[in-house]
Order: sequence, then structure tokens, then C-alpha cells
Amino acid sequence: MPELESAPDGDFSVNGNPVDATGHDGRPLVEFLRDVLNLTGTKIGCGNGECGACTVLVDGAAMCSCIVTAGSMRGSDVMTVEGLASDGRLTALQESFMRNGALQCGFCTPGMLMSATELLLRNPNPTRQEIVHFMNGNVCRCTGYAQIVEAIEEAARHG
Amino acid sequence: MDDLVDKPGRSVGRSVRQIEAPRKVQGLEIYTPDVKRPGMLHGAILRSPHAHAEIRSIDVSAAAALPGVHAVITGMDLPGVMYVHMSKWSDRYPLARKKVRFFGEEIAAVAADTPQIAAEALRHIKVDYAVLPAVFEPKDALRPGAPLINEGPNPTGIKNVAIEFNRNFADFEEKLAQAAFVIEGDYSNLSATPMCMETNGTVAEYDPQSCDLTLWTSTQAPFFIRKEIAHVLQLPPEKVHVRPVAVGGGFGGKSKICEQEAIASALACKTGRAVRLVLSRYEDMISGKIDYAKTMRVRHAVDKEGNILARSTSILFDNGAYTAFGAVYVAAARQRTNSLYRVQSAHYDCKLVYTNKLPGGQYRGMGAPHIIWAIEDQIDLIADRLGRDRIDYRIQIANRPGDVTPLGWEVTSCELAQCLETVRDRLDWTAKRQDRKPLRGLGVASMIHPSAGVLYEEGNYANVSLEIQEDGRLLLGTMTADAGTGQNTILAQLCAEELGIEPELIDVRHMDTDFAPIDLGSAASRVTFVSGNAARKAAENFRLALHNGLAALKGIEPTDISLEGGMVKLGRLNEKPMHLAEVFKACGNLRAEGYFRTPATRPDADTGYGNYAAAYCFGAQGCEVEVDPNTGKVKILNFVAAQDVGRPINPNALRGQIVGGIMQGVGLALFEEMVFEDGRPVTTSYLDYKVPRFDDMPPIEFVPISSNDPIGPFGAKAAGEPSINATIAAIGNAISDAVGVRMRDMPFTPEKILAALREKEKRARIATRPYSRPKNLHVDAVRRLYPGLVFPLMKKYGPRLAGPEKSAPVPQYSIASDLTHALELLRTDGAKLRAGGTDLHVGMKQGIYAPALVVDISRLPELQTIGEVEGSLRIGAGVKLNRLAADDEVARRLPILRQAISLIATNQVRNMATVGGDLCQQKRCWFFRNGVPCYKNKGASCPCFAVLGDNRHHSIIGAERCNAPCPACLAPVLTALDAVAIIAGPNGARHVSMNEFYKWSGEPAMSSGEILVAIDIPQAAQKRSSSFAKFAMSKGHFAEASVAVSLGVENGVISAARIALGAVSPFPERAKEAEASLVGRQASAEVFAEAARKTVIGALPLSRNDHKIDLVVALSEQALEAASRFAPH
Repeated sequence: MPELESAPDGDFSVNGNPVDATGHDGRPLVEFLRDVLNLTGTKIGCGNGECGACTVLVDGAAMCSCIVTAGSMRGSDVMTVEGLASDGRLTALQESFMRNGALQCGFCTPGMLMSATELLLRNPNPTRQEIVHFMNGNVCRCTGYAQIVEAIEEAARHG
Repeated sequence: MDDLVDKPGRSVGRSVRQIEAPRKVQGLEIYTPDVKRPGMLHGAILRSPHAHAEIRSIDVSAAAALPGVHAVITGMDLPGVMYVHMSKWSDRYPLARKKVRFFGEEIAAVAADTPQIAAEALRHIKVDYAVLPAVFEPKDALRPGAPLINEGPNPTGIKNVAIEFNRNFADFEEKLAQAAFVIEGDYSNLSATPMCMETNGTVAEYDPQSCDLTLWTSTQAPFFIRKEIAHVLQLPPEKVHVRPVAVGGGFGGKSKICEQEAIASALACKTGRAVRLVLSRYEDMISGKIDYAKTMRVRHAVDKEGNILARSTSILFDNGAYTAFGAVYVAAARQRTNSLYRVQSAHYDCKLVYTNKLPGGQYRGMGAPHIIWAIEDQIDLIADRLGRDRIDYRIQIANRPGDVTPLGWEVTSCELAQCLETVRDRLDWTAKRQDRKPLRGLGVASMIHPSAGVLYEEGNYANVSLEIQEDGRLLLGTMTADAGTGQNTILAQLCAEELGIEPELIDVRHMDTDFAPIDLGSAASRVTFVSGNAARKAAENFRLALHNGLAALKGIEPTDISLEGGMVKLGRLNEKPMHLAEVFKACGNLRAEGYFRTPATRPDADTGYGNYAAAYCFGAQGCEVEVDPNTGKVKILNFVAAQDVGRPINPNALRGQIVGGIMQGVGLALFEEMVFEDGRPVTTSYLDYKVPRFDDMPPIEFVPISSNDPIGPFGAKAAGEPSINATIAAIGNAISDAVGVRMRDMPFTPEKILAALREKEKRARIATRPYSRPKNLHVDAVRRLYPGLVFPLMKKYGPRLAGPEKSAPVPQYSIASDLTHALELLRTDGAKLRAGGTDLHVGMKQGIYAPALVVDISRLPELQTIGEVEGSLRIGAGVKLNRLAADDEVARRLPILRQAISLIATNQVRNMATVGGDLCQQKRCWFFRNGVPCYKNKGASCPCFAVLGDNRHHSIIGAERCNAPCPACLAPVLTALDAVAIIAGPNGARHVSMNEFYKWSGEPAMSSGEILVAIDIPQAAQKRSSSFAKFAMSKGHFAEASVAVSLGVENGVISAARIALGAVSPFPERAKEAEASLVGRQASAEVFAEAARKTVIGALPLSRNDHKIDLVVALSEQALEAASRFAPH
């Protein structure tokens, strides 16, 4: 008979801290982050992997935490917006988002920052066209995107 | 005035960082869904599955009896009071009573320990409906025999007409008679939605001991929330408290009460607890109020000098089932119809007509973007008729200071002419007009907007408080709600400027109905102007309080005291300047309020005549577009906006507002529209309701124009909202200019533009010879019988014959350790595989999957291989798309894979989605995905809704019972590459050619116990030259059409050809006649063009998707040419 219970060793790390996801394997990662770990910085915009508000990094790759399960994270390093700053020092992207007016309502901002973080990890000097293509999975309804693109360019220059 | 700009120590004119920015970039800001309260329950709403029905009875007993359920309420449990809205049109209860009038209307609600229990409880509520005939179009609702939709208070006395208005302003008939010529036309826009990133949501908490109800809610207007909640729940207003919380976008959609606010409050009162009720995106889309659909008839009467003697506007508004703030919207529309440009007289008539659809509501611009588009379309025609340059003529008729419009608007500060000149210069208009390029067009448009023009009396005044805190920082209190516009920062800047201190010294507490003095909220372009003036006054009064307080304390004259750089100087005393913290210690929290009332007369309530606002905003926008003649796709090459903002307070925030408004206008112009099937919205996701993404936006140049308004705070006027007003018109005029046909139906989608071009150029339709496929004779015959016979019968009786609703229990979840384990798990009843999850988890929410067990195969090592097996390239089904695209060896052998993957979805999805998942995903048909009881959802007894419904995205070739096309981009690619699927099952592995991988209906020909393990691409295909072409609404969207081509070329002669079509057929269709026409021929443009036209042989398009024929031909040509370029010659 196939076993129906979830395996007990559902461990992965979030922002460098090991977490125990026992009993949460089937839940969307975003619910686990928000409801269990109380990391509410990651937002739910659509719940269907279409808007990018819930973007987190999984082993450095941006994913929509609303449609990956906690169970599929085993052995991975997950990073959320709360994990960007270290010892109160903000990243170049966080600073440039603030400086350039790259946020308005701010609901898309955590996801934007996570996608942009992957972009700069993979491509430290992206062209404007590369930024635009890469970031297409993150929707913003306020800014019209121009200042976000400029903030990423500036972070790349100063990062 | 420039002495104020960017000077250290000054505040106005400086790009002060948004106050909340540090919290927002760290994920620390608390929005409504982040609010947690002790003992908080979770709410859920039961919604109507019918567009119009009588509620015979509701039985909640089974739901109430479920463990973990704390309250179940229906409309009958509430006091039976309707929302106030605009009281004359009060026509809606928070929960339906006796009747439902639109699909998605709220019927009952539950509060439970967990969201899962709440959802389960909804399934236990039994509602007995008697379905009533419904109408969905205003013109149908006006017919004599139409069913009565909303009994309401019906002030017009006309069935289904909530508002009727008909009036002339300033000698209209006389002026009309003097016209040298008249331009007229009909226009229509479909309904759109604000689609804020944060859906509507509320946390309400009731304290049964003190009887206080407290709300954290995603709103722009706490004022309205308190007023409406107190009214519908019959509570004393002072017992309703709205607390500060961050708001994830509003755009008008949250500038009034939203239903979940009342329902969460009712649940909180009933349980004596806190209840969180946050709508899902789907709920938000089916119940959130939408911008009104309109049909508009506009006429201009012009004399031979080009003076506009008269403008007439007739508008039919689709009200939806309830009126909400329809009266305000209709009045706002009236304002726009006669005030833009110098118009000597005007006529306006309109009807606001009930339909069985979700109600209309406020959205940025309040109808102005559409009305201005209709007007500006005709201004182009007038200029052309006069032989004038389109911008020169607009400058001639531009509003100017001192003008009074036919409606009585008194124009004061106004730099419209300068805005137009700026657009002309920055766009290089004059040179470009002289050097016309085919399929390129230029468009320009102007706008006017009241700087706070609110019919609601409370909108015309504001109060702001300012006080000193213990640490010496100041605290500003406002009852407005910053939904992201940066208004908290702006208000702080205005106070800081007045006091001569750094704005960073001021904290802002917004939204709090207990803490802040009364203010209507963030709506109607009023905060900077009205609340901003109040903030300035508050600062002035605060300074007085400070001076008086310290003077009394120190025994000096108030005039001896000054505030400089956050320190208080005590003139004649030789004391050290006091820090504000010391002032607090000495005087306590000195507090002042500022009050401002707009100095404008109120318009006449009946005629609408009057001066609405103390100032008016003006602006001009222009752009250049290029139209693709083969696809109809519009590319905006550049965009210029010049706006008279009075004075920029915060240049960075201002630019964000302007560019953001233009972005929303781009969406309205090019793609946004709500699509309905029987009143049920089917555009309920970011996929089907397309909003602009990064890739859709042109470069935008914004030039702020100063006019230094005499009444605005430091000369500023409203700026954010009206940036959307001219955008549709500028784009529409540019498209009309490019294609040579005036576009009069919004949005300007590729298929409409293609149709316009086709008609203008008298292009012959591409012959498809549908009956060369004998099957089409049968398909066509059935389609002909669909409207009168097949569809009504199947729609009525089909669902009754279908099986019971799939229940959706919370599934078990198992992580498979290897392939054998996975196959074993799959033997469980109701087991379903999960690899990337990008289809499964979405489908589970949409009800198309209801697994009992989810088998996670995302880590199976057997599915992760990329390598060579006997000359074939083997790609594991579990390989993620981005990993495959990044593999250099794969790209060297088969560059088409990297090319195709770069066009699939988004970076995030490509990081999650697998090759196998792409091939096996369910169809994306918007009827199927939205739970319409169709063939694919309910089985053979039910009809395909695409035959008669909006089928623009559906199949044109090869479809029979179900017209949903194959969405997978890799399907045509792998088909063209002669790939072979390796499928593992209980009895071992089998190999299936991609040509046989899908059944006729498009589902993979696999049994539920099988797993797609890998794809093999044979050596022969690797030696061919291949290419992929795709057309989608924007980069990464699901294809409207795609073509994969694989060519063997030897010495310039084509030796082998594969052409596979995607997204136009239920499965990846091979274009065999086209392939045959290529083999043995010399590769050339003519041969490719001929073959491309053969790809659509056998196509039988539906009623509104024949544009896909053009797309397939164009894409085929493109892919063939691209493939041949890589081929060895």
C-alpha cells in the first residue's frame, strides 16, 4: 500500500535558519511563511503564480511561493524579503528602490526586490532590455515600472 | 517661485523619500492580510451562482453545526438596512435578501477557526433558488419586455433606469444651427477594473463588553467605512473605529465601502471576536466594482474658423445590478463632456441602466479617459477638415485662464497651451508629421480635471491635526488613507515647508477615525489640494500654539519665538535654542488643527451647473506608435506627457503618479476588458485580464508644467489621478493615424486593428478550404445548430445529466523518493502528480483538479537527466524550463529550445515549471478555468461555450466538441522535432511519438497510473534547422498562435520539413500540406510564403477568431525564414 502520511523530515532553511515543516508539506510555501513562521513580508497578490507579489528565492532562483509547496522545499535555502538586510544594513537594491521612488503602495515591492536580487546575482550589469525581460513576472499597478527599472540600474552600478 | 525648488532646508520641491519606504522594502509594513488579532476567526462568503434568481430559502443549519464554525449569517440576520451610498439611489443590502441580481453576489457568510473550515462550511449551506430571466446589456434592459432587475427606490420611475439626465447648457440649439459643419460618431468602451495588487480585505474586531467595533481595512476612505458600517449594522458611529494599516493600491476601487467590510463587521459583532475576511483574486474580480462600460455618441458643431460652437454627448452607462456611486460617476462624466477646450455650448444626456452584472464603481479618472478619447477623436477630424495641424488647432481652442465653460467652470490657473507646445517639441511632432512612415502614427490629446471636485459635501473640506510628541518629533493626523500615492509624505512636506523644518521630523498617522479629525478620504483628486491646504493651516496653527505656549511659559512675546531647523529660538532671551522634545516636556503635546474649505460655489443639484472646484488641472499627452500589419499588434515607440500640476511638491513621487497613470491608460487602451459569459466574469486572473507588465511599457518622458495656482498649497494642484485622462485618446489617435481608420471600440486589441487594416486595404481573406477536412462538414453543421437548438438544450439539461459536483477535500501529500515509489503512490484513487506545481495548484483552486493525494515528483532523480542516449538527446520530464534553457550543449544542438523557452511565461514560472508539466498542463480556456458548466468541465452532456461565447483565444483548426487550444509552447516545438515521449507505467515503459502524444481533444494519451519520464529528440532532428515563432498579448503570455518549424536543407534544397502549430488547435497540429509543398524545393522567400498560406488549410475559425489565420500564416513565414537562415546552404 502506498503510504499516505507525509514524511517527517521536511527540513529546509528560511533566511539562513533551519525550519521544520512537518505537517505542512502540502501547503503553499507562502502560507507556511506567513502563517507558521510569521514572515508576512511576502505578499499574496493572486495566489496563482501570475503576479509575482509572493516571489521568494529558492537556492537563488525566484519562485512564486503561492504555488510551490513547503514539501517541495526540502534541502533548499529559501530567502524572503526579510532576509535581504543583514545586521540592519539594507542591500543596494533596497536603498535604490527607496531613493528612486520605485515603490508606491509597496505591495509588489517584496516580490520585485526578490526578482531583482536574482537578476543581479545572475547578471551584475544588465542592460535595460534585460531588466525589462527578466522582471516581466512581477506586476506593479502603481508606478508604471520606470522608476523600478532605474532603481535596478542604479543598484547594479553601485552594488 | 523657483526659489522654493530643491533648496536645502526647504521641503516643497524636494524628492523626499516616502515615509513608509524603509518598512516597505524590508517587508515590515503591515497590510490588512498581515493583521493578526488574538482569537481571530476566518471569514468566507457564499456567492450567487446565478445572475438573477429569487432566493426561496437558505438553510444554514448543517454549516452552523460543523465543529469550528462560530457564526453563519444571511441577509435576514442583519438589520435590513441598505447602504447609504448616494441615499436617493440606496438599493443594496450587505447580504442579499430574497433576490440575487448578479453572479457572485454575497448571500451568506461564515466565521470559523480556519479558512479551510470556513470554506467547508460554505459547502454545507443549502440555498433554494428560482432562477429568473436575466439581462446583460443596457439596450436589452431598456426593452419593454425586459425583466425588472432592481426594484430599488427608482427615482426615475422608468424600469431598469437608475438615472436619466437630459439638458442643454448655454444656447445649445442656437449654436448648433450656426455650424459650418458637424462631426459625429459612436464610441464604446468595455468595463475595466482597478486590479489593485492587494485585493479587498478587512479585519473586524468586536468587543462585546464595550460594544466597540474596530476595523483594519484596505480602504481609501475610512470616513465612508465608518458611516456605512454604523448605518447598515445600526451602531452608533462613535463605536466604529477604523485603524491605520497599509493599503496596497486603490485607484478609486477602494474609495467607498466594499462589501467585505460590512460582512466582516457583522461576523465580528455576531461572534464577539476578530474576523479576517480577505478576498481571493477570483472573488475580487467577480465582486469588486468595475469601471462602467459605456456607449457614447458625440457630436461637435464647428464654425469655419474652427470655433467649437456646440458639443453634444449622449451616454448609456451599464450600471450593473446596483447603483453604488453611479450618480457621482454620471455627474463626473457630465463635467468632462463640455469643459475640455473652449466650447460655447453643450448638451448632455445619459441613462444609467441596470443589468444583471457586477456593479460599476469608481475608477481613476471617473470616466474621463473614455469620454476624452471620444472627444479627441473628433478634434483630430475637425483639425483635418479645417486643414490645420492637429496640435496647432488644439492650441487655438485650448482652455485659458479666465474662461468659463458652459457648465459654469471658472478656469483660473491653466497652462494647457504650454502643455501642448511641450508635447509638440518633445515628440518632434512637426518633423515627424512631415516625414510620415507607413504604419506609424502620431497621436495627441489633452485633458481637464477638477482639482478636487466632489459632489459629496464632505469632500470639499478637510481637517488635519499636528501635534508634538515626547521625542520632539511632530505627528500629523489625517483621516485620509494613503493607498500608495505618497500623500502622507506630501502632507508632511507641506507642514514642514510651512514650519521651516525638515519633513523627516514629521510622522504621519493616517486613517485613524479616532485620532484624526474628519476628512472624506483619498478620492476625487482631493488630498493634495484640500487636505494639503488643511495641513498647511494646521502647521500655521501649530506654530501659533507653540509660540503662545512658550511665550506664556517664558514670559516673552510670541513674536520673539521662532522655529528654525527643528529648534525653537527664544529671541530676546539669551537661552540656548530649545529642542522640540524640551518643548514637549515644558508644554505637553501642543496640538493644533487646520481646516480648509474649497472656496467654490456648489453646483446646482438638478442642472449640474456651477463651479465645481477652486482649480482645474490640465495636461497634454502624445505618442508615436507602430502597427504590425500582420498581427495588428501596437508598439508604442515613445510617449510624452506634459501636465500643469500647479507646482511639483515632490518630483519623484509626482513622476511616479504620472507614469503610473499613463501605464493604467496604456492597459485600458490596448488590452484591459472584462469579458462575461451569461453575466459571469471569465477574465478573473492576471492571465485573462491582462494589465501592463514591464515589457509593455514605452519610454515615457514627463514634463511638469508650473502654473502656481493661487489657492493650491504652495501653488500645487491635483496631479495623480488625471494623468490617466488623456492616455487612451493619445494612443487611440496615434493608432487611427497609423492604420488610417478611426478606432471607435476600446480596447484597441490586435484583432480589431487587424480587422480595420484588412477592411481598409481590402485584403482578401486567406483561403482555408475548411471542407478539405471532411470532419469539418459535421462540425460546421453542428455549429449552425448551436444557437437555436444544441446550445440551449445542452446548457439547460446538460448539467443535470452530468455527475455530482467534485468535492474538494484537503488532499494528502506524499513526496515520492524514486520512480517506483511514485508509480506505487499513483495507484491510490484520486492521486495526482505534482512536478513544478504551476498548473496543479492553480487548477485545484479553480476546481478543475480535486485530488485525494498529491504525489510530489519534483525531486525524482530519474526525471532530471539531460544527456545523450543512442544519438538522441534525452531530456528528463522533470527538468525545469530555465535549467534546460541554460544548458549550453542543448542550445548548441537545438537552439530552438532556448529560443522557445525564452518566450514561455515568466522567470519565476520557468524556474518552477518542468518540461513534462508544460506538455501535460490543462487547457487555459477561460470558460473551463472559471467553472462554466461546459463540455470540458462537466462532460459530454454539456455544450462548448466557445462556439457562441467570446472565442477570440480558441481553436481554429481541428476542434470538435471542445474548442480549447493546446497551450503548451513546447508541444509544437517537440512535434516539429519528431520527439518521442517515454512514459512509465505499472507495466513498464512505452515510447510514444509526439504526433500521438495527445488525444483528439488535446489531453495527453496517458492513463492515470502513468508518468511522463523523458523526451527523446532523435539525431536526425538535431541535424535539421529549426525555429519557433509565437504571438501573445505580451511576452510570456500564453500564445494566441505559435509555429515551430524544422527544416532539412541540402545544397539549398529542402529535404525535410516539419511545421507544427500551437495554440490554434486542441493539439499541436502538423501542417502537412505546407510541409509537402516545401520538400524538394529551393529555399526561398516565395516558397516560404506559399507554404505559409498552406498551413491554415482545413481551418474552420469560430465567430471572432479568424485573426488567428493571419497570425499562423505570418508566424509560419517568419519561422520558415528564420530556420532557413540557420541552415547550411
